[in-house]
Amino acid sequence: MTAMIDTLTIARRDLVRTARMPEQLTFSVILGIFFLLLFYYVFGGVIASGSGVDYLQFLVPGVLVITVVNGAQQTGSGLALDLSTGVVDRFRSLPMSQIAVIAGRTVADTLRNAVGALLVVVVAYLMGYRFDSLVGAVGMVALVVGLGYAFSWVGAWIGAVIRNAETVGLLSMFWLFPLMLASSAFVPTAGMHEFVRLFAEVQPISVVSDAARALAAGEAAESPLLASIAWIVGLSVVFAWLAGRAYRRV
Amino acid sequence: MSTTATTRITEPGPVIEAVAVTKRYGDKVAVDGLSFAVGKGSVLAVLGPNGAGKTTTIKLLTTLLALDGGRASVAGHDVSREPDAVRRNIGLAGQSAAVDEKLTVRQNLDLFGRLYHLPGPARRARVDELIDRFGMREYANRLAETLSGGERRRLDLVAALIADPPAVFLDEPTTGLDPRGRLAIWDEIRAMRDAGTAVVLTTQYLEEADQLADHILIIDRGAIVASGSSTELKARLQRDVLEITVADPGSTEAAMEALAPGTALATDERTIHLSVAAAGDSLAALRRVDEAGVELADFQLRRPTLDDVFIEITGEPVSAAANDDEVTA
Repeated sequence: MTAMIDTLTIARRDLVRTARMPEQLTFSVILGIFFLLLFYYVFGGVIASGSGVDYLQFLVPGVLVITVVNGAQQTGSGLALDLSTGVVDRFRSLPMSQIAVIAGRTVADTLRNAVGALLVVVVAYLMGYRFDSLVGAVGMVALVVGLGYAFSWVGAWIGAVIRNAETVGLLSMFWLFPLMLASSAFVPTAGMHEFVRLFAEVQPISVVSDAARALAAGEAAESPLLASIAWIVGLSVVFAWLAGRAYRRV
Repeated sequence: MSTTATTRITEPGPVIEAVAVTKRYGDKVAVDGLSFAVGKGSVLAVLGPNGAGKTTTIKLLTTLLALDGGRASVAGHDVSREPDAVRRNIGLAGQSAAVDEKLTVRQNLDLFGRLYHLPGPARRARVDELIDRFGMREYANRLAETLSGGERRRLDLVAALIADPPAVFLDEPTTGLDPRGRLAIWDEIRAMRDAGTAVVLTTQYLEEADQLADHILIIDRGAIVASGSSTELKARLQRDVLEITVADPGSTEAAMEALAPGTALATDERTIHLSVAAAGDSLAALRRVDEAGVELADFQLRRPTLDDVFIEITGEPVSAAANDDEVTA
């Protein structure tokens, strides 16, 4: 109970902070729209003429996933910033749940991520994107935001280990880029090199992108949905444990 | 919160107690068997150069670091076995604590009040009370990042008081402040003490310990080298201090030679500090310098300061030891 209240207190604090850093908030929220426009207008023509796929229908769920996974990295840089400024020393001396310092941040970042994802959906709709049903659309966004929550814990772990906001940002290039590109987020995995394809088909960004597509299109989604939920729960549990451990290390 | 209340009424004896508290980092002993006790409404100053183990001591007593030896308790709760109960009874401020620079003064205090689980109305009343009591009304709604160094330090200090804890730990509360800011913080520490709070503060400033503390621990390399009240420590130097200032900085060395070697406590460019037992000693010293043909600008006989005590005990002035540590750190 105390842990829940402390988590909400910290989430509130992180949201107030976010609102006070308008540049950062704006960039993180419009990043998804930027991805959507860039990928659609650069690759859309080639892919549509080559495969006959309606690229906008294919792209939007993938862009949503990429948006939240990127946004979740701010959990890491934010936590690293807290750890380097000393405010965490005060938190440690307070009679509060210590994991709440991280959990609150994952909640705040997930809310911000949800706003970013909704903006992508709105812009995509204006561009002509359509989903099969409202239930499917809500399910898609919820699933994607869930993955963002799981990746917030990954980011938290990196932030708690590295403890330097700039290094956290730089490092994300090296693991996030391969994870984003070697996936079914932007293009189908069929054309990828054998070695890359094997990885691309099982990793969480692809699994959740595929499940999100199936939900939006009103197709049978049971198997990718279960795999997605397994990834979300698995990543959250493992990285919450790792992040908590790294955070407690003084 | 009930723990706080019952503890304060029923617990006799010291609020803060450390018995042979020890912390090691590999082979290095950072804190070497420190023992002390602080009662209600009294201030303990831990005095020492950088790297002496002051911050580590604070972290051990505030549950931020685990003890490697000895034991410590706050308000009757063991720091190792009941860290949560300890955290309900302490406030921490200074070097190792901080505030959120993106929140206003009021929001910072409210945040920490929430994390102490103070209920809404009581918390808001407490925040208002502290803002008024510590003269922060005019900048209560400004972001912490826009405050001056002194204002920010004051907020940091007040944040430690939000839950009215029986024990407050202040890690170098005035380091880096200008003299006016320092005096303001001193007043606030006195106010805490007068309200019955047990205060542990660390400092590099002898004057600060002299001004505020009921009891002083001088520590060096993690161990206590001297302890007592300011008066007791000064009494350890039964002798007075004679300060001889020469007219020409170039003749300082000649004056040193004229005096018996090794009698000087300390020397700076033009002034020699000399420990003397009786008036006759002073006269003899002055005569020797005069006979060596050194022209004097000034001389004075004074009671020893804590600075002299520190030099006498550790063999070097506080500032010199601090600078050494900064170079090697």
